[in-house]
Parts: sequence; C-alpha cells; structure tokens
Amino acid sequence: MNEELLYWFALTQLKNWGIFKKNQLIVKIITEQKITLSQFFNLKSDNYIENFNLDKSDIIDLDRVKKELPNLSFLLEDLLAQGYELITINSSKYSKTLKENLKLKYSPPLLFIKGNSQLLQEDSIAIVGSRDADEISLKFTDKIAEIASKEFKVIISGFAKGVDKQALDSAIKYNGHSIIVLPQGIMTFNSGFNKYYKEIQRGDVLVLSTFHPKAPWSVQLAMSRNPIIYGLAKGIYVAQSSDKGGTWSGVIDGINKGRKIFVRLPYTNEKNANNILIQKGAIPVDQGGNLIENKFNQLEFNDVPIINDDNKKEISTFDLSVNAQIEPKASIDDRIRDLLSYSELTSKEIIKTLNLDWKIQKMTSHLNKIPNIIKLTGKPSKFYLKGDKRINNLFGE
Amino acid sequence: MDRIEAEKKLNEIFKIDHFYDTQWSVIEKILKGEKVLLIEKTGFGKSLCFQFPALLFEGTTIVFTPLIALMRDQVNKLDSLGIIAKCINSNQDNETNSRIIQEAIKNQIKILYIAPERMENIEWLNAARQMNISMIVVDEAHCISTWGHDFRPAYKRIVNLVNLLHANFPVLATTATATKSVEEDIKQQIGKGIYSYRGNLIRDNFRLFVIKVNSEDEKLIWLGQNLNKIDGTGLVYTGTRTNTEIYAKWFDYIGIKSTFYNADLEPATREEIEKGLLANRWKCIVSTNALGMGVDKPDIRFIVHTQTPISPIHYYQEIGRAGRDGKNTFIILFFNPNDDLSLPKAFIEGSKPSISKYQKVISALKNERLGEQKLMKATNLKQNEVRTIKADLIEQNIINEVNENKSKIYEIKFNAPEVNFQPFNELKEHKTKDFEKMIEYINLESCRMDFLCNYLGDASSNKCNKCDNDTNHIVTMNYDDSWKQKIDEFHGNYFPVLEVSSHNGKLIDGVAASFYGVSNVGKMIHHSKYENGGDFPDNLLKLALRAFKKKFKDLKFDLIIYVPPTVSGNLVRNFAQKLSEILKIPISHNLHKSRETKPQKIFQNAVLKKENVQNVFSYSKTNEIMNKNILLIDDIFDSGYTVKEIGKYLIALDVALIAPLVIAKTVGGDL
Ligand SMILES: Nc1ncnc2c1ncn2[C@@H]1O[C@H](COP(=O)(O)OP(=O)(O)OP(=O)(O)O)[C@@H](O)[C@H]1O
Ligand SMILES: [Zn+2]
Repeated sequence: MNEELLYWFALTQLKNWGIFKKNQLIVKIITEQKITLSQFFNLKSDNYIENFNLDKSDIIDLDRVKKELPNLSFLLEDLLAQGYELITINSSKYSKTLKENLKLKYSPPLLFIKGNSQLLQEDSIAIVGSRDADEISLKFTDKIAEIASKEFKVIISGFAKGVDKQALDSAIKYNGHSIIVLPQGIMTFNSGFNKYYKEIQRGDVLVLSTFHPKAPWSVQLAMSRNPIIYGLAKGIYVAQSSDKGGTWSGVIDGINKGRKIFVRLPYTNEKNANNILIQKGAIPVDQGGNLIENKFNQLEFNDVPIINDDNKKEISTFDLSVNAQIEPKASIDDRIRDLLSYSELTSKEIIKTLNLDWKIQKMTSHLNKIPNIIKLTGKPSKFYLKGDKRINNLFGE
Repeated sequence: MDRIEAEKKLNEIFKIDHFYDTQWSVIEKILKGEKVLLIEKTGFGKSLCFQFPALLFEGTTIVFTPLIALMRDQVNKLDSLGIIAKCINSNQDNETNSRIIQEAIKNQIKILYIAPERMENIEWLNAARQMNISMIVVDEAHCISTWGHDFRPAYKRIVNLVNLLHANFPVLATTATATKSVEEDIKQQIGKGIYSYRGNLIRDNFRLFVIKVNSEDEKLIWLGQNLNKIDGTGLVYTGTRTNTEIYAKWFDYIGIKSTFYNADLEPATREEIEKGLLANRWKCIVSTNALGMGVDKPDIRFIVHTQTPISPIHYYQEIGRAGRDGKNTFIILFFNPNDDLSLPKAFIEGSKPSISKYQKVISALKNERLGEQKLMKATNLKQNEVRTIKADLIEQNIINEVNENKSKIYEIKFNAPEVNFQPFNELKEHKTKDFEKMIEYINLESCRMDFLCNYLGDASSNKCNKCDNDTNHIVTMNYDDSWKQKIDEFHGNYFPVLEVSSHNGKLIDGVAASFYGVSNVGKMIHHSKYENGGDFPDNLLKLALRAFKKKFKDLKFDLIIYVPPTVSGNLVRNFAQKLSEILKIPISHNLHKSRETKPQKIFQNAVLKKENVQNVFSYSKTNEIMNKNILLIDDIFDSGYTVKEIGKYLIALDVALIAPLVIAKTVGGDL
C-alpha cells in the first residue's frame, strides 16, 4: 500500500486540477482500467490520451509531477515517520458520510490525519456559526455538544474561534469524540498536537486536513475547509449565522441540496440571520436542540419580527468583518478577493468590513487594479469577484 | 549506453580502462532504474558502481554513509578527478552544511554524501523536497539489518524512503560484510525486486594469527617485543576508549611511535590523525573501532585486536580495511581467557535496557510529548539507554518521532501496542551464538580465513595457507624479567589525564592517581567511602603524590581547595589536609555548597548531573583566592561536571589557575 501512497500523493499535487478532475481520473484508473496508480504513472503518453481522455496540457502536468516523485518520497517518508496517516478516497477508512455528501465532485481524494481514524466512521454532527458568536449561541453549542456526546456522535469542528472552538471544547468536556478539520496543512499544527495530545492518544480527537501537509494557514484554505466540515457531518446545527459569509452560504447550499439543517431559533432581540435560514427551509430547534415544528408553521413564522433592510446591512458587515479579519497577515488583496467572492459590496462597505483606514476614493481605484474584480453599474457602484463559485455547491450535485 | 562507449568515458574521466564484469552488470541495472544490492569485499571497486552512473544522470546522487572519514576521502578523490562532490556531516559547521544544501538545491552537486542521521534533520528534509535527485546509494547497507553487526536505527528511515520511491528509481546498496541472513534481510526490507550480487570475500593476502595470553600485561609485552618487527604501519584496536590511551602511553614509554584515537577526541584532532595515518606518521594508531572504516589507505600492514570482537562478522569488518593493496598483511587477535570474555558478554547482556526502563519511558511520554533531553531528565536513564529504547519503540509502532521547530519530540501513538520483548530476547540469543562462533574462531585448529568466509556465506572452501594454523606457526608468549620490570615501571608512572581544560586556560587538565576500575584503587576508595573504612589509606596518598609530581612538578601552587562533601563526610578534607602538609601548600576550607546536592553517581545522564551541581558552590573569603594558583582535590572523577562547575565559579572570582588532582578516574562514564 505504501507503494501506492506516493502516487496518490503525487496525483493530489497536480497543479490547477480541481478535485473533480482528479477524482474522475482516479475512477478511470482504478474502476475502469482496473490498474494501480503506480501502473498508471508508468504508462506512456499515447496511452494517457487514448484510454484516459487526457490532453496535452494534462500530460505536461503529469510529467511535472513525475519529476517531483523523488522529492515527494522524501516528504511522504517524513509524514509517515511523524505518525501522520494518509487515507485515500477508495479506502474503507475514508469517511462514508463525506463521500455521500460531497460526491465525486467535491470529495478530497486524500485525507491527512493523526489520531483515531475510526472516528471517521461514527455518526457525526457539525455545530457551525459565527467566529464572534454571542454567549447564547455558545451555550447552545455546548448543549448540542453535550447531547451529541451522550449519543456517541462525533463533533466536527473547524477549529475557528467562536462556535467551532466551543464545539470542540465541549466535546472534550463531555468526554465525547471530535474531529478537528484544519484550515492548514497537518504538519503545521504542532501547538494543537501538544494541546490535544492526551485526547488524541486516548482516541477522542482526530485531526484531519485535506491540504498540502506543509501549507500554512490562509483565508483561502479556511474557506475551502468549510465544505469538508459540512461534508463530514451527518447532521448540521447552526448556532448563529449572519445573512452572508461562510456559515450562511454553506447552509443555503445545504438546504438547496435537500440536507436537514437545524438552526437555533433566535430570541426576538437577536440580530442575526437565523430566522431567514429557517424561512428558507432550515429546521428550527430550541436552545436545547429540540425540534419546534408545531409551534412554527408558516403563519406564526411571519409574526416573528424579521430584521429589516437597514439592520441587515449592519449585521452582514459586522459578521463579515470578523470573517475577513481572521488572518491579519493575509494581504489586503487576498482579503478583498475573499470578501468579494461571496458578496457584492461598495467601496465604503469593503473599507468598513475589512476595518481599513482608507479613503473611499483610494479603495475604488485600488479595486480597479485587482484582476477579476468586476464593477456593477449603479450608485454607489458595487464590486464582486468574477467566477469564484467555491462557496456555492458545498454539497455536490 | 553500451559497454564500449561507457568504458571510453570511464577512461576519460576516471583513467581506468575497463569495468570488471560485475561492475558493468551493476551499472547497467542502475542506468535502467533498477535496485541493486552489491556485496563485495573491501577494495573491490564498489564506489565506481555509483560514481560512474552518477555522472550520467541529470541530477544529484545521494550517498548515505555513516563513515565521515570515507565521505571526506571520496570527496577529495572525486575532486581531483574534477567531479563535483560534497558531503554534509556533523563535523562540519552548520553554515558549511547549509551552504552545501543550497548548492544541492541548485543542482550544482553531482554526488552528495550524507550521514543517515540526516534523515531526521528538518533542514535536510526540506531541501530534499526541492532537489533534483537521480539516485540513492545506501553504503554499509548491513546497518539496515538488526541481524547485522552494526545495526543503526537511522537506516530505518532510509529503508522507509527507498520503499516509497517510485519503481524506476535507481537505488544501490553496498556492503563488504553481510552474512546470508543479513543479505536476505536487506533484500526483504528494500524489496521491490532488488537484484543482488555477491562476490567471494576471501582476502588472500591476510596472515591471520591468534595469540593466547594469560594477562593484559602480556598483550602489552608482546606488542612491545614485536610491533616494530612488522613492516609498515597499522592499527591496534582496543575494546575501550580508556585502553586506547593506556596502549598509546605504553608504546610511548618503550619507544614505539603511536597515537590514540577515539570518539572522545575533537573532530579536528580526529581529522588530523586520519591524515597522519595516510602519511604513515606513526607506527600504529591505537583506536576504538571508530577509526579505519572507510579510510582508503591501501597499505595498512597490520591490524591488532587486543580485545575479542563480539562476532566473526564484526571481526571481518574491522580487519577489512587492512592490506587493500593485496600485499602481505598481519592480522592479529589477542585472547586472554581469564579476562576477555566479560566485556563482550556484558555488551551482549546490556544491549537492551531492562523492561522497567522501557516502561519508564512510556509512562513519561504518556503525560506529555518530550524531547530526548527532557526524557532523560524525566526518567534518569542514560542517554544511550534512552536512544535504544526510543529506537525500539519507534520500530514497534508505539511512539512517533515528531519535528517541533528544529528539534525532535516523541509522542505515544493512538492505539499503541504493548512493547514486545520477544525480539530482544531473540536478538540476545543470536548475539550469544555469534560470540560463541568468535570463540570457536579463537580455538580453531583449521584455516582461519576459510572459517570466516564460510561464516559470511561464501560457497567455496579453501585453505589460505597463510594463517597460523595452515603454516603451523603458533605464536606463544616468551619474555624475561626485564619486560616485567618495564611493565611495572610503566604502571607506576602512568596517571590518567582529566580533560577539563577551559578556553581561557585558567582551568587546566588535571590528573588522577589511577583509574577507578584498574588495580584495587577502586576497592580501597569504596571501602573508605561506603563501608566506614576510615580515611583513604596512605598508599592512595603516595600514588596521588606521584601523580602530582609527574603532572604538576613545574607549577607553583598557593592554595589547596577540596570539593566539599556530599555523603562521605571528611574523607576528602582529611586527604587534602595530608597533601597540604606534605606538599607544604596551605589549605583552605572555604569552598562550600550553598544547597545540598545528591551524589553524582545516582544520576545516569549528563543532563541531570549538570543540573545537580549547577550554581551550587560558593566561596566565603574571595579575597584570599584572587590571582592565586589553586590545586583542587577530589576523590573520584567521573563525568567531570563538578570540577568544571567549580572551575567556572572560581574563575569568575579571578583565580589565576586551577589544577584538579583526584584519586581515581572512572572508566567509561556516561557520554
Ligand atoms: N575496474 C577497475 N579497474 C581498476 N581499478 C579499479 C576499478 N574499479 C575500481 N578500481 C579502483 O579500486 C580501488 C578501490 O575501489 P573502491 O574504493 O571503490 O573500493 P570499495 O569496493 O568501495 O571498497 P570499500 O569497501 O572500501 O568501500 C580504487 O582505487 C578504485 O579506483
Ligand atoms: Zn588458513
């Protein structure tokens, strides 16, 4: 098996290949042609064209990776020596939930883990929500984690501030199981491995990453980690969501894909978008996680004061700013791109969200210099990032 | 490339006109990207099998070898042929190593020699991810096998790496010493259809002798009588570091030019001696088996072992470097049935720490992830014990070795199995059998070379007609009283050095009256110290005075200071008092301990010993020692940390000079 691992690793390193493309190739190799990856790597290029539908540029990519094989061997040896495990998408150890949720299109071909891999097979929930969640949302998170732990469900945590971190802490507090889904490469998480050493040793915590093992934290990775969190969970609980941002788009996408998503019913004075999610089809639960279907038919629901347009803007910026500020080191361009990948905003809104000390004029002219940022007509004009649909489609077709 | 073409190139670059057939077969396979294990005797020309293809490859060839001397040697040779080769090792400073790594990343190096331990080095691993690597060579491949004579845990990672490499990647493993079972083990571990070539291992220019003696002194006497009669220069291997020094001093005493070499010496000193060896600067170098492996000197004319190696394969390996030029070479093994069994037996017995020590390490690691130093502190185990245990626990999938910043820490795996002690027992049995084979060699009445070759797995069987048995030339001891006298004089005048000298020269190397374990000095000290035997006896005093005269007669001392006691009450104080009266040097009682310390001997490793005495000393009347020459007295010198700590402290108080004098120096302390 170790022999094959190198090629799996190499395959995931193909530059500019999306997950779907990689997975399609894997299916061709293993299921259709019924050969091993190592056999595939040793084939000639005409064979690639004939039997694998690869084109010239694909083959260039493949050749590049082939040249790197010795280097990848060194990295892989180091990974294994340090006790990290690689789980391939065709392995029985791979999370079935993840595959079911993300399908071939979005399931990462390779998981890097350390800890009790059995946790990938257990019933699971994710508790998601804002990085800057209110006390009441954190209490809810704690309660859900307690119930889940009692029911032997694994808690999936994105290891972000706020709800994610609370979910993890609570799972540990209640002697439950949890999976930490990293927004970075698994070899860059040493402090965490020190902190959760005992839990990992006991088999209560599994650490998982889908990125290059040495990749440092970045906004980009934090965003692409979100689908993995949703994907690993059988059930999803939303503690607190604004009407934009990662949590929001994830849930909306989930609802569209027909997934059951439980949202904490907010109190009237709360300023968040939980109610909107419920309106859009998420299932309301009370502070203890109990269903409240009866109480809330559509009629009653309309009575619940929904935040008006003015408020909405404020909340969205509030929440987004938190999202965008996670990594102060990320370049301003990155932060702008990231922000505009899931929302259309004016220069003023961008400045406010990113907490910048800029003049509106400066932002507007700066935006014109960033590639792929599109200006919408209107006054004041809004901007968005072209062609970035990562956030949609969290749940596959 | 066909053979004719290749040999043309060979001639151009290496000035050699043709390959041996085996060489060419190996090279052909390597060029095709295959994996080969090559077992050929020393001097066969194994290096060419990778050096030649390395030049044809686009990128860099990496040669893993544990022998720093060999790296240097080969780099120099390749250099003179205009081939860019470099080495990375622990004897070079970090800057040099980093620079070479950068060159390698830029693909400016054809052949890069590195120590297997580098596979645990983060800088190296990061670099390896960026280099253009064409081939991997595993030199001294027998180190892969626990059944081999020199198993090294660091090779484990090379094996893992080789197993991960893709199918068409060329790998060459070479060794001059592998039994059939080691060969099989290597093949199985490196796997993936590896080819192996095994040449015959007979060295037909060797004259093998075994000389039986009745005492350690007889070894010294025989060498004194005969060493100068043997042509050329050679090596004398002793079992311990202490003995390298004693033998060298003895040769000195009777006028045989020699020097000693062991792992305690500074790298620069070692390099100097290696150079001297090539230049025949001495009749012999007395060494532990750390020297000689990988030194490409064609005319080592003799190799003497004063201590029985623990197996025939160890022996074959250690004598292997002699006589590469094919000329007559003397290979002599001493055997003292009264004394020579205990060291190898202790070595075999102690090859694995006790079960409870393994448990200690595991329970320490259950609490938190720890690095080696902290692990030593937490367990009070010796460094080599901790290392053995670590390696075994990694091998058994119980712990991981994890990089943290620039160092390594250890953690228990989730779902770790219990330690399996079965393989350790098997290994001990295996080693015991090997040692019995060695004894069989000693008592052999038939051809010795034939015995060694058979043991190593040679198919054929032939008399060498050169060994003592074949030529009926059995060496026996024969000496008169004058040699006995010489030996006694030597012992009476030989005092071990305490190597503590500091950079600024104020703390100088000291002297001990004797070794602790040698003669009955140790017993006398023990009797006084731990059996209420009263003051140290007068003959120890006499011995100490002799040592003092020999070492310090030219120095003038102002003051005697003694190390304040831990448990032995006033023994050292009284001893120092007597010395003070005889030497007429005033004594001071003003060095104190500011807190209680534990006896150093309860600490098994340097980390804890150092900590035990750190910042513990204080001096009450600092004025009286300013600019003074001080004689520092203690009973036993072990790790030297106490003396060094006092030295550091007193130097800060502006003394002019400190010279340590102790009764006994222990043999083979930790580190
Ligand atoms: N085909 C050849 N013809 C002539 N000389 C050769 C040939 N191959 C190698 N030699 C020479 O033989 C000598 C010994 O070679 P080398 O150092 O490679 O031995 P080795 O087998 O590696 O021994 P060791 O076990 O000591 O590493 C070198 O001086 C080398 O130049
Ligand atoms: Zn013989």
